[in-house]
Amino acid sequence: MPSGCETSFVPMIRLENVTKVYEGGTIAANDVSIDVQKGEFVFLVGASGSGKSTLIRLMLREEPVTRGKVWVAGKDLTTLPKWKIPYLRRSVGTVFQDYKLLPNKTVAENVAFALEVLGRPKSVIGPQVAQVLDLVGLAEMSQRYPRQLSGGEQQRVSVARAFANRPPIMLCDEPTGNLDPKTSVGIMKLLDRISRTGTTVIMATHDHAIVDAMQRRVVALHEGRVVRDEKVGRYEQGQT
Amino acid sequence: MSRAFFLLREAVVNLRRNLLVVAGSVLAVFISLALAFGALVVNEILRVNTIAWQEGVHVIAFLKDAGSNGVPSDAHDTLLANVRTWDEVESAGYVDKSEAWIEYQEIFAGQDELLDIDPTILPASIRIELVNIELHPSVEFRLEQQQQVVLKVTTAAEEIEQLQNLSRVLNLLGIGMAIILGLSAMVLIANTIRLAIYARRDEVEIMKLVGASNWFIRIPFLLEGFIEGLVGAAAAVFGVWLSATFLARALQDLALIRFEVANDFFFQWGVLFLVFGATAGVLGSLLGLSRYLRDAEGVGADVPAGVV
Repeated sequence: MPSGCETSFVPMIRLENVTKVYEGGTIAANDVSIDVQKGEFVFLVGASGSGKSTLIRLMLREEPVTRGKVWVAGKDLTTLPKWKIPYLRRSVGTVFQDYKLLPNKTVAENVAFALEVLGRPKSVIGPQVAQVLDLVGLAEMSQRYPRQLSGGEQQRVSVARAFANRPPIMLCDEPTGNLDPKTSVGIMKLLDRISRTGTTVIMATHDHAIVDAMQRRVVALHEGRVVRDEKVGRYEQGQT
Repeated sequence: MSRAFFLLREAVVNLRRNLLVVAGSVLAVFISLALAFGALVVNEILRVNTIAWQEGVHVIAFLKDAGSNGVPSDAHDTLLANVRTWDEVESAGYVDKSEAWIEYQEIFAGQDELLDIDPTILPASIRIELVNIELHPSVEFRLEQQQQVVLKVTTAAEEIEQLQNLSRVLNLLGIGMAIILGLSAMVLIANTIRLAIYARRDEVEIMKLVGASNWFIRIPFLLEGFIEGLVGAAAAVFGVWLSATFLARALQDLALIRFEVANDFFFQWGVLFLVFGATAGVLGSLLGLSRYLRDAEGVGADVPAGVV
């Protein structure tokens, strides 16, 4: 990782010549280098199989890199011991297309769980859960179970859980993939609000409309390579 | 403290919310441990009965009438006193001619043709219980040396020895079955709990995603396994105790076999089975979880103990 002397320019996430080859020889990431600064909102775009989800998984250390270096929140993931990975994940909020909510827990319990693993006392957890559920507009549904919610509401719970402990980074893998356009806009507004608090958000998507409307940094991938990296980009190159 | 409370609460809430899966695990523990415990109880019944059959008279020496045919009048008392000094003899009792007639009448009660005899033909006898049944040849030999007073020597020793051998085989079989059933129980319990965890593998994945450490994920599952194993084992011990007690009461008039098993036996083995059930539950959970905690990158076995 860039050493401490460059503090103001230390990226929140750095991928340096990252290559990921899966068993069987599939190259999911090919010499990828990206820096993402604190508070940035970055879209990873590309067709299915272009390597978007793999990059997210590498940043979560769900997969080890084959070559290269990955730094997340100041930690070199290529040398991070396995037992420290839970600590890394506590500083990274994650939102997935399939919500990944615990089915046997209520909305409030799902959100609280992210704080329980940090060992926060009950006196802190209660108000913090209420606050974040208020932020995502689900305060009234705190005692419902995931099965009793719509897709959009479940994704809001997922966002609330990811943001509950105010992580510096949010990684979102196709968070609007299962949602209708109107609901997707609601989720994007939420992520935008979160980004404005200084949280770094990386979102893998192939939702043209959202990327074009948000006018944020776009990193386009094709067959595991970065083919475009624009500070304010659109989904397709050369669009106006 | 609050974290320990949280983990305990998690286990209890999970048990409550996964009732069907929990019931399956408890049932697996119950059935397998009930079979193993049942085998042990049957073995105990056999053991107790064999001992009971071995107790009592082993050798009988029928005596010639004293004071006639050259048998001194005090010959019976002298022989009895003598026999009681032998190392092989645990105890010896004297049954005189009148007592022999009473015994005869009891044995053949209602069979008038057999009772129509001269009571004086029944001999007096010395009834001997041995220290060890295997010593019967020596005692028989020593009695047969007393030809002046001893009419005939009979023994049930060979039958008892055969019974002892049968008992040894049955004991070994019983213990073998209990061990095999116990091991099967361990595998069955572990597998059932593994399946239960398989059904909840997504939960484990989600817990990891939000940064829960191995032990934070494991402990509620281990507590669940512990509780399931304990409840299943308790039900098995109670069920077998209830069945054995009922059987003993129902068959108490059966003279040949005693079905009563001491409460001490149930208590001692019951405690062991509770420990076994709880341990099997915990091990089953550990085994079931190991795959999901090992496969995923970053949640390996190298987490230092105590890091939750």
